[in-house]
Amino acid sequence: MNKVIDLKGSILSLTVLKLFSNDIEQTKEALEAKVSQAPDFFVGIPVVLEPEVDNLDPTFLALLVELLHQKQMIPIGIRTQDEAIKEQANYAGLAVFTEEVKSKKRPKEKKEQGGAEEQTGLKTAMVVNHAVRSGQQIYAKDRDLIVMGSVNPGAEIIADGNVHVYGTIRGKVFAGSQGEISARIFAQKIDAELVCIAGLYQLSEDILPEYKTGFVEVALMNEQLNFKLL
Amino acid sequence: MSRVVVVTSGKGGVGKTTTSASFSTGLALKGYKVAVIDFDVGLRNLDLIMGCERRVVYDFVNVVQGEASLQQALIKDKRVPNLYILAASQTRDKDALTLEGVEKVIEDLKEAGFDYIVCDSPAGIEKGAQLALYFADEALIVTNPEVSSVRDSDRILGILQAKSKRAENGDAPIVEHLVLTRYNPARVETGEMLSVEDVIDLLSVKLLGAIPESEDVLNASNAGSPVVLDENSAAAQAYNDVVDRFLGEEIEHRFLTVEKKGLFKKLFGK
Repeated sequence: MNKVIDLKGSILSLTVLKLFSNDIEQTKEALEAKVSQAPDFFVGIPVVLEPEVDNLDPTFLALLVELLHQKQMIPIGIRTQDEAIKEQANYAGLAVFTEEVKSKKRPKEKKEQGGAEEQTGLKTAMVVNHAVRSGQQIYAKDRDLIVMGSVNPGAEIIADGNVHVYGTIRGKVFAGSQGEISARIFAQKIDAELVCIAGLYQLSEDILPEYKTGFVEVALMNEQLNFKLL
Repeated sequence: MSRVVVVTSGKGGVGKTTTSASFSTGLALKGYKVAVIDFDVGLRNLDLIMGCERRVVYDFVNVVQGEASLQQALIKDKRVPNLYILAASQTRDKDALTLEGVEKVIEDLKEAGFDYIVCDSPAGIEKGAQLALYFADEALIVTNPEVSSVRDSDRILGILQAKSKRAENGDAPIVEHLVLTRYNPARVETGEMLSVEDVIDLLSVKLLGAIPESEDVLNASNAGSPVVLDENSAAAQAYNDVVDRFLGEEIEHRFLTVEKKGLFKKLFGK
């Protein structure tokens, strides 16, 4: 089957002419000055108008379109929110782009998409190469956290995944902070103020002294923190 | 090359100003040109310990605010050549200091050919302390062997690593040195004080020196003469070691263990 036509969305790059004056004479002068700098450059280029002023004279757009045609530019549309200008555009034969709001949204959407891509890709652990000091807080979002030094009293380390500490934990430690109950904590030594996995926690005084002596693993079992010396 | 050294601790009363005075005097005794600045605006003490309180005409705030020139405000030490003191203001508060003003003073001191600019930080972690450490190249962390002092030092170390000019510019980090003051080996043995090892383990900073607890420190402060000048004192020797190690000499640590008293000493005291 041969297609006769195909209607597709496409993102094109267009020249936008911003208008900061509602005086047609002033605009005309400015435009002529601009075009005279590089007359060939403007021949045949499609232009979208974007008025940054309101209270446009009812004949303003029509006159401007006429002027642009004289300069051999092709005005194809207008970008505005203003209802009065939209009506004028209709008479002047210009397409209306209600782009303003969308243009603000677009970059956000893109970012979200980017985030999604990252999530599907490999997200390695966040590595902290030094001690985490009192008053400091480190959060590894959507990933594991590896701390090469100690976590000192008054410091907090938080990960949505597992936590590994190759020093002593003396501050507070949170693993699976978004509710991941399979998250675990590994540490050279735990003497923590608070140990927490997926919202279930134990304070220092509730941790048996025997688990404060060596390399330890903490995991959730039956909704309880389970310590195991390795 | 001038080096800016901040003497800081977080906690108050641990010996920052004593250390600033003895450390800067020790550096000057080695022949370096040293300026020591009191950042504790509103609670100035350094001039007392340096014994120049009656010679303060213009102070640090006057210079920062452009009311006096640096040359007018720098007080030349009478005992040690090449040592200059910039006193804090007693009548103003820490809001009188601005980042730009402090930067200008430090730049001017560098231009004036000072080898070391020692900044005596106020206690706390607020504006005054942050201004004192902002331009530092090296830091002396003054800590007493007890938990609250160690924790506050830990906090200030975090601020050094996050809020200094070097950290903000992504330059090489501030070189950190630990100075353990009021160290009393006898009380460490009985478990009343944290040991050197405990403190180093907690802070993970290299020890520059431990200063033994000594009456000489208080006497020297009262006399307005940095303790480092009292040659017979153990504290002075310890501060001299601190200066030597800071300058890169390898010296074995002293004053970390209880001095075994011989029979003679036991009978006749010290």
